[in-house]
Amino acid sequence: MGILAGKKVVVLGDRDGIPGPAIEECLKPLDAEVVFVATECFV
Amino acid sequence: MRFPVIKGAAYALIHANDMVLHQGSTQTSEARLNPGSEYLKALPAHLRSFQEVVAYPPNQVYIGNLRPAALKAIPRPWRENPVSGAGREGKFGEIMPLDEFYGLVKAADMFDLVLMEGNYQKATAAKLATHSAVADWKTLAALEKGYAPPERIRELVAGGQAEPMYLAGQLIGCVRKAHDFDAALSEHVMFENLVSKASAAFCLSLLLRKTGLPATAVEYIIECSEEACGDMNQRGGGNFAKAIGELCGCVNATGSDTRGFCAGPVHALVEAAALVRAGVYRDVVVVAGGASAKLGMNGKDHVRKGLPILEDTLGAFAVHIGADDGLSPILRIDIVGRHRIGSGAAPQAVMRAIVTDPLDQGGIPLADVDCFSAELQNPEITEPAGAGDVPLSNYKMIAALGVTRKDFAREDLAKVVERIGMPGFAPTQGHIPSGVPFLGHCREMMLEGLLRRVMVIGKGSLFLGRLTNLFDGVSLVVEKNPGGGPEDQARVGRTRVGLTLAGSEHGEAEMLRGALLAQERDPAVEVVAIGRAAPPGLALVEAADAEAAREKMESMLASGELDAAVTMHYSFPIGVSTVGRVIAPALGRGMYIANTTGASDTSRIRAMLKNAITAIAVAKACGNETPSVGILNVEGARQVERALTDLRDHGYPIRFAASGRADGGAVMRGNDLLRGGPDIMVTDSLTGNVIVKLLSAFTAGGDRETLGDGYGPGAGEGCERIINIISRASGAPVVAGALSYAGACARGDLPGRVAGEFALARKAGLDKALAELAGPVGPAAPAGPAELAGPAGSVGPAGASAPSEPAELAGPAGASAPPGPAGAGALAAPAQAAGGERKEQTATPPPPKAVSEELTGVDILVLEDAERALWRAGIYATAGMGCTGPVILVAAADKEKAIAALKTARFL
Amino acid sequence: MDLENQARVKALAEQYGSDDLIVILGGAEAESCGLTAETVSAGDPTFAGPLAGVPLGLKAYHIFELKDEIDPGIYDEQIAMMEMVMDADAIKGEVTTYRGA
Repeated sequence: MGILAGKKVVVLGDRDGIPGPAIEECLKPLDAEVVFVATECFV
Repeated sequence: MRFPVIKGAAYALIHANDMVLHQGSTQTSEARLNPGSEYLKALPAHLRSFQEVVAYPPNQVYIGNLRPAALKAIPRPWRENPVSGAGREGKFGEIMPLDEFYGLVKAADMFDLVLMEGNYQKATAAKLATHSAVADWKTLAALEKGYAPPERIRELVAGGQAEPMYLAGQLIGCVRKAHDFDAALSEHVMFENLVSKASAAFCLSLLLRKTGLPATAVEYIIECSEEACGDMNQRGGGNFAKAIGELCGCVNATGSDTRGFCAGPVHALVEAAALVRAGVYRDVVVVAGGASAKLGMNGKDHVRKGLPILEDTLGAFAVHIGADDGLSPILRIDIVGRHRIGSGAAPQAVMRAIVTDPLDQGGIPLADVDCFSAELQNPEITEPAGAGDVPLSNYKMIAALGVTRKDFAREDLAKVVERIGMPGFAPTQGHIPSGVPFLGHCREMMLEGLLRRVMVIGKGSLFLGRLTNLFDGVSLVVEKNPGGGPEDQARVGRTRVGLTLAGSEHGEAEMLRGALLAQERDPAVEVVAIGRAAPPGLALVEAADAEAAREKMESMLASGELDAAVTMHYSFPIGVSTVGRVIAPALGRGMYIANTTGASDTSRIRAMLKNAITAIAVAKACGNETPSVGILNVEGARQVERALTDLRDHGYPIRFAASGRADGGAVMRGNDLLRGGPDIMVTDSLTGNVIVKLLSAFTAGGDRETLGDGYGPGAGEGCERIINIISRASGAPVVAGALSYAGACARGDLPGRVAGEFALARKAGLDKALAELAGPVGPAAPAGPAELAGPAGSVGPAGASAPSEPAELAGPAGASAPPGPAGAGALAAPAQAAGGERKEQTATPPPPKAVSEELTGVDILVLEDAERALWRAGIYATAGMGCTGPVILVAAADKEKAIAALKTARFL
Repeated sequence: MDLENQARVKALAEQYGSDDLIVILGGAEAESCGLTAETVSAGDPTFAGPLAGVPLGLKAYHIFELKDEIDPGIYDEQIAMMEMVMDADAIKGEVTTYRGA
């Protein structure tokens, strides 16, 4: 199965790329536990 | 729906290179975590000079000297292609060096927290004293005293009691903590807040100077930076807005702060526009200063890549939002884009919420937006830091969204991106790049017809506050004013002239007939009737009675909703009088009568001299660039003739008319009045008033004025509004003529013409001429020095019986400065207008009030004394000229008290 | 990479172990994504943060690389548009470099 199966996930999003919460949405149905979400901002 | 408009925008940058090192959070964090840091050692060699900062192309775009599109033609890296001949002054703003800015920080400090070394302080005070935008800050006086010993500054900084102020590596001052242990008032916080306040106030002062908006006209200020001020019990209590307005002399404004990270400014614009639209406030300013913490934010990447520190400027902006003036770009507050709490974080969800949802709601195809002013970060700063080209990525997102919605074809993506975008040019000061930096250019380009519709976008990273993971975004559509630009206005006839209906002796129907007649005859005029009712085809603004109509007229003139107005029974302040226009019966020639009501000066003869100059300005505004001038043979005519001749001999371009009588000359007889000999007939106001009535009503038997264009616009130095006067006896044809006359004055920029004409006359010695006329000129008094000094053999009565006027009333030499105190809000602030004029009888006016009650009976010769006597009694009053003579204007509540005071002082 | 985030990742790696922990990136630029991927695997190359000299050996993926793992409807809604905006190939190439395998 997938790379993410059974994993703990750290999400490091980007304000001017893909923000953290958007990535988190993608992971919701999967068998992966999101343990930290952040979004970086360079501006 | 009439939308609010962008009436002006100003932008400031401050070259803050020393602050990069000492206050930029990237650097201060590094110093704390890694004191021996190689980065900090290397950094000073990467700082730019002031001239490099000035010539940096994006900075020139920011202050308005280059359009954003110009950056497309300048090869990257821009830092290697400086703008040749670039200066610190910009069309919309200025780039200020740090030494001057520290002086503003000191001037912004109300709690004695800023200490500065004496030599530095003196040098800075001298520079700021002549700065065109801030020289009038009262608090600059703080720079004249309290020089701090350098050892004291060193001690405070070394002891952790103060934040240092470095200039070119030298410690020249500091900002002390405002409380022993309150973290919200620490030296660090106070430094940031004072920097934010001072830079915002600097920019607001630039806005006021560059757009001519009087500080006193600002009613509300919204501050939208990213700082917080307060103490430990209310860390973000506010209110930056009022603190900033106070520095700039906005005494009539209140305000508040709006926060939303980098989206804050666009939220603030929406709020400002809504407040104006709702009529809560008339003139609202959105302002924000710079953030010292963000200086050098991406410095590590810049240094690592061998680049200069490009984040070396503080940014600030100020935008004036006002009511629709028929010209300035409108703000479509009916379709505001908003990222809702439930919108989600996905980029396409964000863009849908702030870009396509509002456009869909307004029925505007995505392709019908000319360009997007998204976040405008300078890519040369962000790309080396790994954040990419932020504006470009916004345009790509919009275009990509358009492709997914089928607004655009996929293969056109690159073309669309190129069309809808512009290069980023703003410093990465957080809130500063939020779409707002383009508004100055946008306004200008819409006025020039280069743009029709722009969407302004702000986005904010709310998650940085650690209270929510939400993102934020807001947008606002700006459109070219459908009222059209100046040329459109001239072509299709859009000068909006108000007409108050109440008060006519012939009834409101006669006024309305005049209004319809004006619209029929003059396609350049749109009449706005102000009264109870109007027939179809005529715009109406409702007002129940004469008083309400007058107030409405004043407020619409102030907001720019009207370009000019026609009214009756109106009191102008001393210094403003009207130039009438009649038809001379012999040949049917039009002729300006200068003047017809009001008083240009308390001295009748000085007034006549000023009348001549004002009338020339009026004639020029109405299209006659070389009017001929004659002086009616009334008492004082010869003195006025001599004064005008002197001015001409000293270079004032005046063309004298020649009398039709055998002996010629510029002094006109009654015959010339009937013939219409000169284009301008100079006389005193009361005589002029009689002439207008005579020449307007003689064919109608006397009780109805049917000829000519009425008593004309009030004009005088400092008078910014165009209000034309008619009589209660004026009939429809005169009403129509007055409306056209007012429209022509508005299109011809009468206030500008008056200022220009007086400047010309002053160069040729007007002040001296007025001083020489300061002698005896009043009624029934012994002969005085003025006519003794006159040449022998002058014809006419002038030399023989010129009466005198008390010398102390004559004003000081060169009493030609701004006219007297503002009556009925038509002029500049009273405090300024009256300031320092008289040698004696000085008095400071109490706080201004709306003055609506006219007190008659005070002799004109002592009118200003009476005004000052009331000031000293604590009653706000302004001297003015009513229809039938001089008046003192006071607030209704003060009327009885004022009468009693005037009686006690024997003015009544 | 943000210093605070470095500290959080370090603590989480200690808590869960490097084998079970995965890092997913949303960065806009290939270079910065590569830098983050390098930081969580080999240590902070800028020697600025808590991961300086700390090779956690974590595997990092850009969300673009995980397209096949994600429900297509959700991916379309949350991510797809940005494939047109960002340089997906360059980002994928860069991030892959630091996964070693």
